[in-house]
Amino acid sequence: MKKIINNPNNVVSEMLEGLAKANPAVKYSGAGVEVISRKEKKQNKVGVISGGGSGHEPAHAGYVGYGMLDAAVAGNVFASPSPDRILEGIKEADSGQGVLLVIKNYSGDIMNFQMASELAEMEGIKTASVVVKDDVAVPDSTYSTGRRGIAGTVFVHKIAGAAAEQGKTLEEVQAVAQKTIDNIRSMGMAMTPCILPAVGKAGFELAEDECEIGMGIHGEPGITRQKMVSAKELAERLLSHILEDYDYSGSEVAVMVNGLGGTPLMELYILFNEVEKILSEKGIKIYRTFVGNYMTSLEMAGCSVTLLKLDDELKGYLDYPSMAPAFRV
Amino acid sequence: MSFTLTSKDYVNYINIVKQRIYENGDYISGLDAATGDGDHWSNINMGFESLAAAGEELQNMPIDAAFKKIGMLMMSKIGGSSGILYGGAYMAASKVIAGKESIDSQDLCNAMEAMVNDMMQRGKAEPGMKTMIDSLYPAVMAYKQALSANISGRETMILVKKAAIDGAEATRNMEAVKGRASYQTNKGVGNLDPGAVTMSYQIECLCDYIIDNLIDK
Repeated sequence: MKKIINNPNNVVSEMLEGLAKANPAVKYSGAGVEVISRKEKKQNKVGVISGGGSGHEPAHAGYVGYGMLDAAVAGNVFASPSPDRILEGIKEADSGQGVLLVIKNYSGDIMNFQMASELAEMEGIKTASVVVKDDVAVPDSTYSTGRRGIAGTVFVHKIAGAAAEQGKTLEEVQAVAQKTIDNIRSMGMAMTPCILPAVGKAGFELAEDECEIGMGIHGEPGITRQKMVSAKELAERLLSHILEDYDYSGSEVAVMVNGLGGTPLMELYILFNEVEKILSEKGIKIYRTFVGNYMTSLEMAGCSVTLLKLDDELKGYLDYPSMAPAFRV
Repeated sequence: MSFTLTSKDYVNYINIVKQRIYENGDYISGLDAATGDGDHWSNINMGFESLAAAGEELQNMPIDAAFKKIGMLMMSKIGGSSGILYGGAYMAASKVIAGKESIDSQDLCNAMEAMVNDMMQRGKAEPGMKTMIDSLYPAVMAYKQALSANISGRETMILVKKAAIDGAEATRNMEAVKGRASYQTNKGVGNLDPGAVTMSYQIECLCDYIIDNLIDK
C-alpha cells in the first residue's frame, strides 16, 4: 500500500482537518465527532445534512456550503458514522425549522441515521429523512436492503439544499428531495479495486483486461465481470441499464459522469462524449452536465453515469447558486 | 451449577477476545473480501481495542453499567452496521440485568437473549440470513435449553460454545439477505460470514473463560 497518510487510524480526522483549513467557510468539529458544518449559520431555515462512510470524497464534506448541505457527518472508511456523531451534525444544522437527513440506502447508514433522528427528536429537534437508492445494478426489494445510493445522491443534496435555502418548510424540502430521488437512476463500473487504509491491500482483484459492470462504490459485486470495452460500448452498456429501468424519453435531464477516484478526467470526458451522442439519438435533451469526481471509492478506477429527469421546479433548484467547495453553481 | 461473573471477569474476557480477534486479522479480512468490502475486521478490532483501553474504568463499575458503557463505546468506535448492532445489543442486555453488581448463569443467558432480540429487531433480520445472528441465536437457544435441563455449568458452557461455532459454520451455505454480501450474484454462498465468525470467537472466549475461571473443576 502506498498512500499519503500518517496513520491508517487517523485518516478521517486528518482529512477533515485539512478540508476545513482549505475551506474557510466551513468548520470541523474535531476528532471523534467528524462533522463538517457551515461556519456561518443561517437562522430560521431547514437544515440539510448527509453523511456516510469516508472514502467517497468529496462526498459528503465537500458539499457543505451555501445552497447545499449545512453539515456532513463522516464515518470511518466505508462504515456508517455512529448515531452520536450524526446527532452532532443534526444539532449543527438545526436553526429551529427542522433538519432533513439525506441517507444513502445501506443497512448501516439506515440504522445509524434512524437512531440519530430518534435522539434528535428526544432533544426537541424535528427531523425528516429521505433514502437515496439510484443504483440500477441492484434490483429494488423490500425484503433485502435493495438498491444502493451512489452518485445521484449529489443531485439530492443540491436540490434539497437549494429548496431549504429558499425558505421551504421541512415537509416541502423532504418532498422535493423525494421527487428528485424518484427521477434519478445511476449505473457504474469499475476497472481496479480500492485499498482501505486500515486493511492495506485490495479486497478483490480484477485482471488487467477486465472490468466489472455495476460494481458498487465500496467494491460490492456488480452484474457481470467482462473484458474491458471501448468508451462507446461502455456508454451504451451503462445507459441501457438506466433506460431500461426508467423512461427518460422525450424528457430533459441533468447528466453526471462521475469518476471513482482513479480515472482521469480525460476518460470521463470521452465517456461523456459518447453518452451525449446516445442521449441525443434517443431525443433525450441534456439540460446541464456535470463531469468530475463527485462520489468516489478511494483510488478505484471506474465511473458511473447518472440521469436526473428535470421539470421546471427541479431546474430552478439545480440552477440555484451553490458555494459548496465541491459543487459550485 | 451457576457461577458469578463480575465486571472484572468481563474485562478479563474482553482482553482475551481482543487478542483472539487481533490474531485472526488476515483470516477475517479474507472472509470479508470474499463477500463484503473487507473492513469488518479493522472496525471490530478497533472496537475491542477501545473496550480494552477502557478496562480500568469498566472493571470498577457494576456489571449493568459496564454493559451500557460497552454498548456506547462499541456504537461510537466500531461504527457501520456492526457498531450500532453491538451497541444496541449491549444496551438492551444492560436493561435486563439492571441493578446487578454481578450476574449468574441465568442472568447471562437473559442478557444474551436480550442481545439477539435487539439485533434481530434493529437489523430487521432473522436467523438464516447469513449474519452474526446465526452464531448468537443458536447459542442462546442452547443456553436456555441447558439451563432448563439442569445440567452442570461446565457442560452448559460447552454446549453454548458448540452451538455458536456450529452456527457460524452454517453460514457457509446460507444466502445473504442483508448487507453487502447480498449484492453478490451467488449471495455469498460458499463463504462464511465474517460477522458470524467474530461473534463465535466472542462466545467461545466467554464460555472458555467461565469454564477455566469461574466453575469448579
